[in-house]
Amino acid sequence: MTVKPFVLAAALLFMTTAAAQAHTPLCSCFDNGDNTITCEGGFSDGSSASGVAMRIQAADGSILMEGAMDADSTYTFTRPAGDFTVLFDAGEGHVIEVPSRNIVL
Amino acid sequence: MKSSLASLLTGAVVLGAATMASAHFQMIYTPEMALKQGGQIPLKMVFTHPFDAGYTMDMGTPEEFFVIRTRGENEPVRTDLKEGLKAIEWASLTNTGKAWETTYQARGGDHIFCLIPEPYWEAKEDAYIKQNTKVIVNVGGEPGAWHEPVGLPTEIVPLAKPYDRWTGNVFQGQVLLNGEPVPNAEIEVEYLNHQPLLDSNSFAEEPAVTVPQESFSVQTIFADNNGVFTFGIPRAGWWGFAALDLEEDYTYKDHPCSHDAVIWIQAKDIN
Repeated sequence: MTVKPFVLAAALLFMTTAAAQAHTPLCSCFDNGDNTITCEGGFSDGSSASGVAMRIQAADGSILMEGAMDADSTYTFTRPAGDFTVLFDAGEGHVIEVPSRNIVL
Repeated sequence: MKSSLASLLTGAVVLGAATMASAHFQMIYTPEMALKQGGQIPLKMVFTHPFDAGYTMDMGTPEEFFVIRTRGENEPVRTDLKEGLKAIEWASLTNTGKAWETTYQARGGDHIFCLIPEPYWEAKEDAYIKQNTKVIVNVGGEPGAWHEPVGLPTEIVPLAKPYDRWTGNVFQGQVLLNGEPVPNAEIEVEYLNHQPLLDSNSFAEEPAVTVPQESFSVQTIFADNNGVFTFGIPRAGWWGFAALDLEEDYTYKDHPCSHDAVIWIQAKDIN
């Protein structure tokens, strides 16, 4: 094994780690007042959450709805009956859970 | 900045101003610049002397009042807020002046509130004052375009988030006139020393701090050649920065008008 690839690999690893620490996933959901809810996702470094998987989970753990953040990093859905949790899933270590009681106007 | 000769000539005026102890500041006030979650927030627009809760000037109808919301990489969205303004009377410790209020429904990201006031006639100086003012509220910690110029005629562009400063950090801003840096701009810095009481539209009587000498009530600093200024933040709370008289020969209704730019920050203690 030569030294050079090792150094490159180490540098790459370092960058990956740094990137993971530098951005925290963020997701807030708002009641639109018309029986729909809009969730806004993003990262603390301002990068887009477009394409991030979204799941709406019932209290019993069953998945009620699935989708993805749109081009504006938003996801709008019809409010389900009862308590539920919104899952913003940007991968391991980047999952946010928003319980329905935290959804504000 | 005036030459030293000019300063000598206008010495009487300067002395008169000094006894007022603090400076004019256009405020856009809401209790919290860094909100954990969205919701309805109150906004109060008051033109006053915040350090000593001194004379509150009568505001005219603002020429413009709007917000630019940016979140992450999304395109900025501008919303006019002028129509929703309601006239109020704001009570300082010395008098009551005409001011404005409204509420705003805030969701995530940066909300850059911008006020272009009607110039204020300052009879004592035989001149108008026009302070274009910015306050940036963030919801949820997701940043937007807080660091980009809005394009106001006079503007302070923050070089650090105005809503995330710890006590002891510095705050830097760049002073612009028509989008161009203003070298050596003069900036007055003032602490919001009396708590605004939103229910009664007034300032609390008790000051947060007392000064050892009058120089401390309004601090004067200068920008560098690029219009950039730096201020170390000694205490948590609201600090106002007013870059003064940025446009030579600027007039309003055939009178000289000081064309100023104001920005506010809110610092928090680290503990």
